[in-house]
Amino acid sequence: MYDPKDIIDLLADNVAKTRNPFGISKYWLNGWWKKFDIPRQGGSLLFTGLMYQFMPYIEKTTAYLESYEDSKWAGYARYGKLVPKTLTSLGLAAITPLDEKLKFTNILRNISTILTKSGVDFHYDPSLDDYSGILLYDLGAQDEFVRHAKYVAEKLKAKGVKKIITVDPHTTYALKILFPKYTGISFEVKTYFELINLHSKNGCHQVTLHDPCFYGRYLELSDVPVKALGKLGVECVPARNSGLYTSCCGGPAESISPKLSAEIVERRVAELQETGKQIIAMCPICLGNLRKAGADVEDLSSLIMKCME
Amino acid sequence: MLLVKPDFAEELAAHGSDTAMECFNCGTCAAICPLIYEHFPRRMLRYIQLGAKEKILEEPAELWRCLHCGLCTQTCPRGADPGEVILGLKRYVTANWRKS
Repeated sequence: MYDPKDIIDLLADNVAKTRNPFGISKYWLNGWWKKFDIPRQGGSLLFTGLMYQFMPYIEKTTAYLESYEDSKWAGYARYGKLVPKTLTSLGLAAITPLDEKLKFTNILRNISTILTKSGVDFHYDPSLDDYSGILLYDLGAQDEFVRHAKYVAEKLKAKGVKKIITVDPHTTYALKILFPKYTGISFEVKTYFELINLHSKNGCHQVTLHDPCFYGRYLELSDVPVKALGKLGVECVPARNSGLYTSCCGGPAESISPKLSAEIVERRVAELQETGKQIIAMCPICLGNLRKAGADVEDLSSLIMKCME
Repeated sequence: MLLVKPDFAEELAAHGSDTAMECFNCGTCAAICPLIYEHFPRRMLRYIQLGAKEKILEEPAELWRCLHCGLCTQTCPRGADPGEVILGLKRYVTANWRKS
């Protein structure tokens, strides 16, 4: 296990200086919308919170953290914040494979396509798409979280944003529950799957959804994707623990203890595999973690796209 | 001799956690917690009730093993909200690091 203080200090410093926990420049990070046909104005704002974009970098970083956890080198994590952010940015960009970045780029493009095909009035403005700060909140860095959340919320408010479409549970929880509470600024927040209006008979198969903690318990949204998939001809076979009692994938522990995270996800994968069906994730962190544990897992948006083919 | 210090629970309220005193130590949270070790988070709630601040600060890193998954809060029969109490303790410890 790493010293939480070292990790929190590093992440908080990165967020304060670069507005994201990995210190990666937004230019490197957020390119999924480039050369892609997406409305640039009108309707709700599609707000990714950059979580899917972080995933290839999270996977690389946690692989390194895992190698040095509990070793004599672990203590050097505290010096991470002394490394210039430009160097971190370039380093991480260089060691992260392009095909991994493309996988997550495609997920966001799929979500955009699903919204368009569902007739949703929305637009994307990359300059307004920021990290929500949720990791700082989860780690207990409350002052730093509130400072960052105010920056994000005030920026959105200044641009007149009222309706937001989110793509992951962590950002959804931050914008829907935490922002009103800690910044005093509220938006009408919906996840993309709450807006799906698609029908097909191409699905015709069974899957098992892994409910993330934030969707299953905190936001109680588990039934929404089940119904949306039902209209696409896909039947959801529940895992042993799902909905309000869903099991955590272990993802939240990966920055402090990748070993603990691996232990938790192993148990969850076993539960999900009991149904014998294709496993579907709705959260980038869960997707990455389940995949790392060897599960055959697909993102919800990829499944929906297949059903529409 | 153990001195009970109820002030600690009030101190934690400043960090957004004011439900620890509701806990009657049934252990449901410890049974459902994915960490399955040493009566977590029940033990921490007991320390708060007793005001055993030093026991929590002895090994503060343990708090960050909590995944904030919310299963303990979902199943708590007393509404003691153990998940948020642990988050409150993390905030308390972090705020103390900042001060020191």
